[in-house]
Parts: sequence; C-alpha cells; structure tokens
Amino acid sequence: MTMLDRDMLANVMRPIETANGLPNAFYTDADVFEAEKRVLFGSTWACMGFAKDVPNKGDANPVTFLGQPLLAVHGEDGNVKVFQNVCRHRGMILVEEKTTLRSTIRCPYHSWCYNFDGSLRTTPHVGGPGKNLHDCVKREELGLIEVRSHIFMDLIFVNIDGKAPAFEVHAAKLLDQWKEFADKPLYHAGEDSSFELQVNCNWKLAVENYCESYHLPWIHPGLNSYSRLEDHYHIEQPGNYSGQGTVVYNPKLDDTGRAFANFEGLTAKWDTGAEYISLYPNVLLGVHRDHFYGILLDPVSNGKTIERVEIYYTSPEMCAPEMADLRIKNAKMWKDIFIEDIFVVEGMQRGRSASFYDGGKFSPVMDNPTHLFHEWVAKRFANA
Amino acid sequence: MRTEKALQRDMLAAHECADMTALPPLYLEAAELREQQGDMDAACFFYTHAYVYALDCGDRKIAAQAQAKLKAHGRDR
Repeated sequence: MTMLDRDMLANVMRPIETANGLPNAFYTDADVFEAEKRVLFGSTWACMGFAKDVPNKGDANPVTFLGQPLLAVHGEDGNVKVFQNVCRHRGMILVEEKTTLRSTIRCPYHSWCYNFDGSLRTTPHVGGPGKNLHDCVKREELGLIEVRSHIFMDLIFVNIDGKAPAFEVHAAKLLDQWKEFADKPLYHAGEDSSFELQVNCNWKLAVENYCESYHLPWIHPGLNSYSRLEDHYHIEQPGNYSGQGTVVYNPKLDDTGRAFANFEGLTAKWDTGAEYISLYPNVLLGVHRDHFYGILLDPVSNGKTIERVEIYYTSPEMCAPEMADLRIKNAKMWKDIFIEDIFVVEGMQRGRSASFYDGGKFSPVMDNPTHLFHEWVAKRFANA
Repeated sequence: MRTEKALQRDMLAAHECADMTALPPLYLEAAELREQQGDMDAACFFYTHAYVYALDCGDRKIAAQAQAKLKAHGRDR
C-alpha cells in the first residue's frame, strides 16, 4: 500500500475529462494485489464458479479463489451452498477434486462427517475409541463455515466478509436492466460451450478492455462488417457495472438459415440488441436474444488471470446433438474474439512497468465505462 | 459369520484396493462379532467405522443400523 497515496486515488476519481487511470501499482504491486482481495473482492459480491458444475444432489466442486479454499455443494434441498473447504477439526482440506458425494462430506484425515447443509454429523472416536461424543465438542457449533452466496444467471457469487448488502440490493440496477433475462432458465450444453483462456495480465485489464467499445474496430476488424463503432452505446452504472451495447446484433452461424431459438417473451429491443457488461469486480457478461455467456475472471496473481467462459442457450433443444455444429461455431466465434484481445491486455500489463506512466489519459467520449471501473476501484481503496 | 482373522484379512484387502462399498458390511460384521463377545467398546469402535464408511458410500441401511447401535449405547446421536 505504500505505492498508493490519496492524491493518486483523487486523480482517478476526478471527472473523466481530467482524470488519470489507476496508477501502475494496481497492476504490478504484490501488496496492492493482496489488499484487493479484501477491498475489491471480499467485501462485495465476487464470482467464484458456476452452478452448472454442481447440477445434482451431492455434487461438490472445490475451488481455490483468491487463495481461499472454497467448496460449492448441491444440497439435499436442491440449493447450492458454498463453504470454506476445511474441516473444523484440524483444518484439513475436505474435498480435493470435483466429485459426487453419496451422503456426507467426510474429512479424509480423522473422518469427521458433515451433512450437505454443512452441519456436523458425526465425530468418530472424539471421546476415545468407539465414543463419538464429548461434552466439549459441540456439534451444533462446529458446522462447516458457510460463505454467503447467491446464484445469478448460473454464476455463483460469494460475499466473503458477509457484510455486503444482499445480492438483490447490490445488483438491483442490473437485475432491472436485464429483467427480461434474469428469471429465464439457462441451458448449458457441456464441453462444446465451455472454454478457458490463461492470460498474462492483471484481472483489471480484462475488465477494462471488455467494458469499452472504443477498441472494437482496431482489435476486432471482423466485427466492422456488421457491428460498427457507431452501432454501440455505453452502459454506465457508477459503482456497480459498466459496459457496452450494440443495436445491430444479427448472428449468421449457418448459411441454410438454422439458428438458435430466442428466449421467450423478449421485447423488440432485443431483436437486434445485445449487451456486454462488466459487473464489478470479476464478472463479464453478454446477453443476446438467443444465448448468454458469463466469464469468470480468476485473478491467479498480479500478472496472471484465468478467463473461464461458459455459454448458455434458451432451451434443452438448443443443447441437443443436432445443434452441436452451431454451438461449436458460436463458441469458436467468441473464443477467436477473446483471443484477439489477449495481446492488448498483455501489452498493457507489460506497459505498466513503465515507471513514469501516470495511469493514462481517457477519451472523455469513448472511455467512460473504463473510467467508471477505475473510479470504483479508487473509491473503494479511498474508503478502505 | 467369518472368523475374526478372516474378517481382518478381508478388511485389509478392501482397504488396499479402495473398495469402499465393501467396507461397511465388513466393519458391521466385526462390530457384531465383538458385541456377541460382550466387548461393547470394541464393538462401538467397529460400529463407528461401519457408520462412517456407510455414510461415505451412501449405504443408508448400514448407516442407520450402525448409528442405531451407537445411539443405543450412548456413543453417538
């Protein structure tokens, strides 16, 4: 934190016309990265995984997120809960890899067993051989440590410090903006609709690049044919999310006219509209009338980010084998676009080693979504 | 019912090849053997293992049986 001072943060929080971007330390300083875990992730709602990875009762998916061992479990009641993936006894990791549990979460060390709702079920030999009770070991106080969680459009959000407003309050504006999509069932087709990119950049550069359309004609010239810069608009929700929308979404994945079915009941806006939003801190979303995708940014380290992309469709029929060729084309289209962005975010990451770079000068017209994100980061640090 | 020696051998073999579904009935049998011999501490040791492994592999019947024995002897809830 020594690399940051109030003046630097104040520069970022100025109106876009005179603001600078975030200083280099936010991209290169290990202490800042550590602080971000608390200031930008732990104290708000961050995404740690996808519910599609735990579709059935007993499914358990361990995830290391920001260094924390977490475990998503699909419970007997059909709800997914997230726990810290450690036994209350000796802190042993409970589940090492994605699995389907039969009827308990058993610690592999001394076999303390937990129910899927996290409650402690039995404590073998805790009072001596064959004696599984002891007055000092109060099972009702020793359930797994639950992490507050909420599922939105299949993304599992967690609020690690447990103090953020309810997710519905936190994401109220987005829930309203996408109210036509928020309650729609989503269908995932499996491997052909899932991919991962490992990028040598700080996670924030992926957010910044995703939420602005300024770069599209230069980095994604292929989009110029149907989605020109002037067909895009900014999406700006200070302190919460920012992004861009297009008014000319018109996918042509197949020459014979085959296409994915649309979500039912959408208004005319979505006939040719699509929106791409960075929900702070680490989620990139895209909605279209015929599919949705979510990207989880996993900040592995200061200069390394894993982008996990999951694409969803509107009905089980769209996930059938007959539609596999279209799904593969769609996934390839998005993957190619996201790959086109890699040299940019990696270039900016290397650029952040330039000691006299001042965080940069924004275009007051084109960089508004990026500025909003920087402002969000700076405000949270200023208030931390 | 197997002899104690045969049970030991079969339990070790099941552990060695990680045959988790074989474990609950073997430990249950060992527990019952010890109970017949009047050694309730040893029986509850084996009932505990039968219970835990039955939970682990989803053998609800043996889990319920072993838990009932443990409860009856004040060893579990």
